[in-house]
Amino acid sequence: MRRFLFLAILMMICLVSAEARSDQDLASLKEGFGNINSVKAEFLQKRTLPILTKPLLSEGRFFFQASGSLRWEYLSPLRSVMLQKGETIQLYHFSGGEWKPEMTQVVEARRMVIGEISRWFQGRFDDSKVFQHRYVSGSPGRIILTPGEGISKFIRQIEIFLGSRPGIIEKVEIVEPGGSRTSIEFRKMEINSNISSEIFEKP
Amino acid sequence: MICNKILLIGLSGFLFLGCAPLTKIALSPGSPEDLAACSHIFPSGAWESVHKIEADVGGSISSSLLGITQGDPERRRLHSLLLTPEGFILFEGSADEDGTTIQKALPPFDSLTFARGLMEDVSILFLSPSGMAKAWGKDVKGFRFCVWESPNGFQSEVRELINQDWQILYRDAQGDLIKEVFLRGPFINGLAGFQELTTFRPRPYKLRMTLLQNGH
Repeated sequence: MRRFLFLAILMMICLVSAEARSDQDLASLKEGFGNINSVKAEFLQKRTLPILTKPLLSEGRFFFQASGSLRWEYLSPLRSVMLQKGETIQLYHFSGGEWKPEMTQVVEARRMVIGEISRWFQGRFDDSKVFQHRYVSGSPGRIILTPGEGISKFIRQIEIFLGSRPGIIEKVEIVEPGGSRTSIEFRKMEINSNISSEIFEKP
Repeated sequence: MICNKILLIGLSGFLFLGCAPLTKIALSPGSPEDLAACSHIFPSGAWESVHKIEADVGGSISSSLLGITQGDPERRRLHSLLLTPEGFILFEGSADEDGTTIQKALPPFDSLTFARGLMEDVSILFLSPSGMAKAWGKDVKGFRFCVWESPNGFQSEVRELINQDWQILYRDAQGDLIKEVFLRGPFINGLAGFQELTTFRPRPYKLRMTLLQNGH
């Protein structure tokens, strides 16, 4: 009986300490994001859909400034860019040799996407109105985002894989109901380099 | 006053010409090969495709999207998705002889009217015309020309153009042109490398589609 009680207490201590470590990790993670002023990287996006035998690959680049600016640009197979500077979000696509503003009807869903991406790079997971988040420690550490009722029809879960350097995201995996998923892998990452403000203003 | 009358007559003439059905092409008697050639511009067997879609509505609003379609020509079944460049699904629907179904859609793409219009465009682009082949043959320049008529009197004309390009004209029962499709090769199992669909009414728009990937 004594041995059982000892084991139960030991288990409780372990659970409480794991919880405390997780809180501590999340706090140091937020501190890590706080040390990032800018990020510049390329990305490879792999879209897997049950309707397709081969995944759809897209390539692009992004620029981020912690002051609230983001340029998320696809270079292939479609040339398209989302620009965020503060509260202003602009979307353009490249067609007929020039950049054209995106049709208003498709803008809203994409505004939500760029808003979420911008929050991830700032480590502001608490600020999302549509996702609950939890931190999973390990190597790599992960942030799991679970959507609320309205979005769960479209997204089941988002998993953000963190890099070895605090505040860096290496990969994002988005899982949808019905077997569709998207993985975005970042590469050629440059941290805290100078980025011209024009990058976030003009396509 | 006279000027106004001339302007009115001029405008009427212009409108009349604008709405008039195109002159019927004199066909030399067709062979089964001509009909087969017209049908070869549509994919056969089960297939899938990914297209880059550039849409122009009314000449002022434009958008670039990704279109994914899976087709089963034997059952005349199509399953289509419309995605943002980020891969976000705006619309997912299917159509067969029983009608159109929406699987998933975000506003403003969630109406049945939009779904029917989109699936009609996809059918015109990728399925050989429904109904009976009414006439086929070659025109005076030796280009193939085939006409299908559906039970409601709508006609699909498939015409061969210079440089192995093709054209589909879709007309209502009065013979007025509703849609026009231009197809440029290379054709990979009936999937054109480039397609341009122009809808004239009720609301004009243009879709330019470039084939990105295809499979079976």
